[in-house]
Amino acid sequence: MADNCITCDVAIVGSGFAGSFIANELIRLSRLSRKDLKVVILEAGPDVQPNFNAYMKSFYEASFKVPESPYPPAVSDSDENIINPRKVPAGRPSSLTVGGSSWKDPGKAYLDQSTSNRPFKSTYERLAGGTAHWMGLTPRLVPNDFRMNTTYVKDQPPPKNKDLAKDLQSFVDWPIDYNTIELFYEKAEAELGVAADVDEQRFCGIDFRDNYQYPMPKIPPSLFDQRVGQALAHLDDGETQFLGMGRTVTSLAVRSLPAARNSQPYRNRRACAGNTNCIPICPIQAKYDPTITLNEATNNGATLVHHTVASEILVEKGQVSGINYINYGHEGGPKTGCLKAKIYVVAANGIETPRLLLMSKNKGQTPNGVANSSDMVGRNLMDHPQYLSWGLLPQPAYPYRGPLVTSAIGELCDGPFRAQRAAFRVSLGNEGWTTVVGGGAQFGSDPHVTTLDFINGMNSSGLNQKSFSGLADDNRALFGADLTRTLGNLISRQFRIAFPVEQNPDRDNRVTLSSALDALGLPRPKINYDISEYTKQGFAAAFRLKKLIFSKLGATDFTSVPQDDPAAFNVDDTPELFTYGGAGHVMGTYRMGDDPTKSVVDAWQRSHDHPNLYLVGSGTFPTVGTANPTLTLSALALRTVEHIFKNLPSLKS
Amino acid sequence: MDQSRERNTESAEPLTQSWKISRRAMVAGTVATTAVAAVLPLSNLAYAQASNPRQDMVAFLLLSEALTGVNRQTLAPEFSADANEILNSDPGIDPINIKNTYFDWTKTHAEPSLFAKLLQTAEEKGLSQDNIIAKVNSDDDTKFLARSIVLLWYLGSWYDPADLKANASPGTRHAISSKVVSGKAYTQGLVWQIVGAHPMGYSNLQFGHWSRDPHDLNGPNGSPLPLFSAPKS
Repeated sequence: MADNCITCDVAIVGSGFAGSFIANELIRLSRLSRKDLKVVILEAGPDVQPNFNAYMKSFYEASFKVPESPYPPAVSDSDENIINPRKVPAGRPSSLTVGGSSWKDPGKAYLDQSTSNRPFKSTYERLAGGTAHWMGLTPRLVPNDFRMNTTYVKDQPPPKNKDLAKDLQSFVDWPIDYNTIELFYEKAEAELGVAADVDEQRFCGIDFRDNYQYPMPKIPPSLFDQRVGQALAHLDDGETQFLGMGRTVTSLAVRSLPAARNSQPYRNRRACAGNTNCIPICPIQAKYDPTITLNEATNNGATLVHHTVASEILVEKGQVSGINYINYGHEGGPKTGCLKAKIYVVAANGIETPRLLLMSKNKGQTPNGVANSSDMVGRNLMDHPQYLSWGLLPQPAYPYRGPLVTSAIGELCDGPFRAQRAAFRVSLGNEGWTTVVGGGAQFGSDPHVTTLDFINGMNSSGLNQKSFSGLADDNRALFGADLTRTLGNLISRQFRIAFPVEQNPDRDNRVTLSSALDALGLPRPKINYDISEYTKQGFAAAFRLKKLIFSKLGATDFTSVPQDDPAAFNVDDTPELFTYGGAGHVMGTYRMGDDPTKSVVDAWQRSHDHPNLYLVGSGTFPTVGTANPTLTLSALALRTVEHIFKNLPSLKS
Repeated sequence: MDQSRERNTESAEPLTQSWKISRRAMVAGTVATTAVAAVLPLSNLAYAQASNPRQDMVAFLLLSEALTGVNRQTLAPEFSADANEILNSDPGIDPINIKNTYFDWTKTHAEPSLFAKLLQTAEEKGLSQDNIIAKVNSDDDTKFLARSIVLLWYLGSWYDPADLKANASPGTRHAISSKVVSGKAYTQGLVWQIVGAHPMGYSNLQFGHWSRDPHDLNGPNGSPLPLFSAPKS
């Protein structure tokens, strides 16, 4: 190790939600107790920008408006050719290469999925603030999500289907429960600025402390939310029996979804103006993003070192002794350096964290990587595979307005059925057919695709048929008032509904190291991924619920699966073809648990192997439920801060 | 963003000369002159003084109005028309001025003679909007350029006429690559207004608007607000 290392008290790798929360809370606690605490954060990507103008320009000018469009580095060159990730210092997966024809080509796709059964479709960013492109949804996990094994596996008769029985055995309990995390949910909700209504959120065992109120009133429902709520207000028990809720279901409540989205001015940020652009970027920062907490941390003394990729965690005598890094922000080329601290925190997401741990071989002394005596690092990669459906309403509900999602049906996420099939939630979209038109991104996005159809007599959307358009013929090419009338009529009736489905842990869904390198010469992540019978059965139930909702709405179903979709599958012997989308929820790859032989970190997210190393983020989730993970990983990070602070040795007063 | 924001029609540079010539040639109906015109250089011609940028822009607006189905005063908010002498009326100064962006873009990306032909169609006296559409549709070459121009107005993106032609067999399901003209063009796309929405990532509306009918922005008792006015035929 070089002599000129940066020294500090706490070294953090990654400046996203978990990293920023830990940095800022540590600084706050140290100030309260009048301690001098030096926190250094390594960030693989660029620094926080003074404003969003450059990001907005990139977004507006992008031909393909995907989650990474606003953010550096560019995925494509000026001729729209995908840039080989071998040439990028700190690359990341792109929506343009996680499906389609290039997903198995490491010359185009950052993640090496050349040997994977199915594509892992989620992406992430590497820049200061990390997951700034998130949707902003912040539901809590429900109590049974923390004890899947106890509630639904341990004392239950195993299902007859052998695959299903095996899948169920993979469920473990968390080492903590809902009550342990509840207080930290509140703290995280305050920092994120969550808008929601307490009374509306009491379902599936979720409870709140007396007099607790969310920081802001709930986000009002879109016209489509209201329409679905009316359609599902009165149901017949027979129509809903397939859900296996173990109780009579004669109505389904559409509830406002908790979101880190301002329903009134909050901490100097303005209220949501409904830009319908939460993913990839809120132009007015009404949606919380981690640069807000990160800026507070750096304003109060934390140091952010950007364009700096951690390349190896060094271990001496069981303790982490330093982190080597490569800084590529210099004109003269990359420079190596090192960071020494008392406590080390890796907060680099569910793929980059295991990648760093596995890369850290310490000249052969840790051949399986750091913190990996359990062999669990990189295993149990999970997402919330999404069943996407879309259709046409009989009357306009005027989509392409409001936050991307304002309401959901949450109460189906827990019940006795979880001993037989995966749970799901039902997320109602306000962005029409943007992400789904024609069966995914193959034709581009809407309203562009439908507009092109009716100007050029095409039918990529499926809408250019007289039965839908009301025109004299199929495949019409229009000008003038016919065109405005037809587009106004059809596009204002579009909707989509997504069903994010639970995925059970599978040790063979795995992050390892690829022989494909990045521009710094570091091995890129290699992914092996599949979805289980348990998850597929969840899709089958989601499909049945979709049919019920569409029929109650009087809607026409346009859901389709592209013929060559590498993710496509059937359930049982039914002809219905399914596929899934990525939710961007990268989870499970350094799970927490009490048993050091079966988990990577303990209940405090501290490495079982190295007492001064903490691994944070959704990679520690042993099981994933159906809630969007950001609130939970933020709450866990705040809980971990207390442990770090209490155990920081001999701080200077 | 786009610097052309400050420009208005009065100060716009004269039209590319080659198409001006070919346009006149077609008026004269001489095929030979058209062929010559197509290879003439783009500038330094004696005809420069003959071009009338204001009249060209008005023709572009009349053409665009007929093809897009959106009133020219929505396309060019300060447009003031003299019913008798519409080609000499004032296309107006407006703070966004997307019409110049689209005009200039079409001029540089389209076959000059075709663009000239389209503008000439719009200049014909007494031609109704339906007749403009019928005339544009009667010629396979002008038809696809006309579609490209409508896509510009609707989406702020350029779809090459040749690509449209290649994918025009009825009911084709295919992606066609396109280029966003500028950030400003994306945010001025008309299709968003036509469907009662706003460009994703560019909302001038206020908190909670998504809970209400878009034609009734001020609540249940407000008067319906047309988002755009349809042209009069």
